[in-house]
Amino acid sequence: MIIYKKIFGMAAAAAMASIGYVGVAAADVCDTPSKLGEFGKYEGEVITIAGSMQGKDEENLLATASCFEKATGAVVKYSGSRDFAALIVADLRSNNAPNIAIFPQPGLAGDMAKEGHLTPLGDDLANWMTNNYGAGASWVALGTYGDSAGKSKFYGFPFKQDLKSLVWYLPEQFEDNGYEIPQSMEELIALSDQMVADGNTPWCIGVESGNATGWTATDWMEDLMLRTVSPEKYDQWVSNELPFNSPEVLNAMEVYGQFSRNDDYVAGGSAAVATTFFGDAPKGLFSSPPKCMMHRQASFIPAFFPEKGKEVEDGIADFFYFPTYESADLGTPVLGAGTIYTMTKESPATRAFFQYLTEASAHEVWMSQGQFLTAHKGADPSAYSSPALRKQGQILVNATTFRFDASDLMPGAIGAGAFWSEMTAFANGQDAKTTGDNIQAAWDAIK
Amino acid sequence: MIGRTLRHVVLGLIVFIWVVPFVALLTTSLRSELASQTSGFWTSYTPTELGHRFSTNDKGGTAEVTELTGNIFERLNKDEQSFPISGEVRSILFKGRVPDPEKPGKTELIRKLVPPGEEMAVRKGVFVFEANGDFTWTFAEPTMPKPKNLEAIIDQDPVFGSEAYVEVLFENKDVPNALISSFIVTIPATIIPITIAAFAAYAFAWMRFPGRDWLFVIVVSLMVVPTQLAFLPILQGFSGIASWAAALKAMVTDCGATQSCAYPSKTFASLWITHTAFGLPLAIYLLRNYIVGLPRELLESARIDGANHIQIFIRLIVPLSVPALASFGIFQFLWVWNDLIVALYIGPNEGTDLVFPIRLEKQLGTFKDQLHLLNASAVISMIVPVIVFLAMQRYFIRGLLAGSVKGG
Repeated sequence: MIIYKKIFGMAAAAAMASIGYVGVAAADVCDTPSKLGEFGKYEGEVITIAGSMQGKDEENLLATASCFEKATGAVVKYSGSRDFAALIVADLRSNNAPNIAIFPQPGLAGDMAKEGHLTPLGDDLANWMTNNYGAGASWVALGTYGDSAGKSKFYGFPFKQDLKSLVWYLPEQFEDNGYEIPQSMEELIALSDQMVADGNTPWCIGVESGNATGWTATDWMEDLMLRTVSPEKYDQWVSNELPFNSPEVLNAMEVYGQFSRNDDYVAGGSAAVATTFFGDAPKGLFSSPPKCMMHRQASFIPAFFPEKGKEVEDGIADFFYFPTYESADLGTPVLGAGTIYTMTKESPATRAFFQYLTEASAHEVWMSQGQFLTAHKGADPSAYSSPALRKQGQILVNATTFRFDASDLMPGAIGAGAFWSEMTAFANGQDAKTTGDNIQAAWDAIK
Repeated sequence: MIGRTLRHVVLGLIVFIWVVPFVALLTTSLRSELASQTSGFWTSYTPTELGHRFSTNDKGGTAEVTELTGNIFERLNKDEQSFPISGEVRSILFKGRVPDPEKPGKTELIRKLVPPGEEMAVRKGVFVFEANGDFTWTFAEPTMPKPKNLEAIIDQDPVFGSEAYVEVLFENKDVPNALISSFIVTIPATIIPITIAAFAAYAFAWMRFPGRDWLFVIVVSLMVVPTQLAFLPILQGFSGIASWAAALKAMVTDCGATQSCAYPSKTFASLWITHTAFGLPLAIYLLRNYIVGLPRELLESARIDGANHIQIFIRLIVPLSVPALASFGIFQFLWVWNDLIVALYIGPNEGTDLVFPIRLEKQLGTFKDQLHLLNASAVISMIVPVIVFLAMQRYFIRGLLAGSVKGG
């Protein structure tokens, strides 16, 4: 706890210093602190990549790939769509596979591995990841799926991580109202009550996200699971050894309900949770007058702030660690997620591209471009584009109890299906017992 | 009389319902991103009360002062080149803790709206502002004031600008590229099915051959096949053709050495073929029903004069069928122009070859963060079908058939 206090205190101070983003055109993006190794020459060979990233993320991915192009002469073509999950399935089943598919969720990657559409990356890369990523073994586990014969192989290379477990707030609002950063869950709840007593609204929560509606609620659940049960129990929950309707899971759901289904706690009342777009929810912090005081969301959320994250640079917005219960001795767990790079059509240039992803330099290119966190221990933290990201990156690399987004690890039908939809129903007033029973029933049905 | 009034009211209502979304889109595309995120489009035509946060001064002042002056509008418009905020400051929302008069030693949170001219305590100074935005912040002793963010409620004048259009059309090549790609896809995907369907419709209507009626029934029943059902087999087909072409290329050239044999299977041509295939049943059905209704005498006199099928088709049927061809052309054009799903699955999927609907979808961004650009692009994408419709509309009204049978 003390360590976190220190880290986040420093982050706040450093964010005040306001260092500008490094512009894409300003300098050679490939000029990173770490030197790039050799991968051979693949003059004119085309590597096609499909993924769900668009906009700024797409630009950054292309910037990262451009350094590979420069080093090898290969040509990288990227196609990004928000319908990636549907398109990649059609492409793989109709022999139109790109060379690389970037899955936002391991669940779907696992399904595709089972159908035999993915090519194993090999033990060398798996061993490299174990040794070079913070909490490496768990990253390897994230990319390991059963093939068509049920044999586990390393298919997915996690690259670009997100840190969840953060609560965003405006220091100036806290100063005006005389609020302190809570150091424990008990304090956080007391602070929320204090805000209600003062006539403020503590939380902005929104779970609407098109056909992925509900994932924000699952993140809350996962964070609260890590704060109410041991990491081992969390793993059992992910593999369904601990059923969804067990007392432990229902308890975490009830705790989430104390936040999200409390009309005094949530901006717009609890009825607004299911219909508020998750990207609009944090804007309530910045509205004038503010709709809420705090917003629990992952590290990428500043992209949704009214000025696209400039607020964090300028020190207008800041974050603190979503605290743990003082009464429960569970350390300081961190919840995260990441995108998974898989090989869907093998070629020598594609192999080389995966080799490139192990280079610290590849990580540093993206680090210098904006929103990007990496668990790569060799990547130079000075490459991060802002102090806030640097601090988040250090939390990630130094994580001891680190757990992945459970809904990403569960089978697609649950983690990207029943869990989402049932948590949305929970937001709409369905009770915890029914919600847990329904998800468990969906899980039993696919066993 | 009553019937006529009622008809006008109903018509007016229908027009209103259809026009509102367009007006909303157009208005939003001309507003600033912030304004469109925070208030509805209908509020943008009149002065509206909106909250704005401004900072009193820039960070890192150098000198100690006893008085700091400035203007709220200048502070607000400091970073913003377009959509300047103007109007009248109604009040400032004051927040802070003051000693609680009832409980000694405790503090109480005060939140109130302070009107212009009234003094309020901000940090260790006194802050006064006027409705025109001028403010003074005075301190008892010289201090170097840290910037303070305050919330002003402003009765804001309407402001519109075309920045989004400039950005979409000129600063970035994505939308112009998408326009071109969409034309590349749409024009052949409209002309090819019309051409094939016109020949087929003539044959179904005026030529005698065995199994004609059965064939026609089969073609008509194909209309009910949903596009989505066919994506996988179609894709497999195209990838089969592509790999066959790659194998052929490997046989006749030495592309194997450089690994450059591969042909893409998702191309503009794939889209032409797919749209043609799915457009044909309806096209044949529509055109056949039109052509079969042409006066028999006309065709018979042409035949007596010695015209063969091709001559009859080109000289008589096509000119007479222009209204039907134009109607179907509009249908097909609109359908292909607005098509997202076929283009997503079967069309080119990267770089400059994306068609307009995919570009629009991409403008939602991973994070729905480019909505102001999306509105402007959406208006642009609507203009093309409107032009096509207006240009072809006269064919709906003016039947070419009128008078053509005179003396037939």
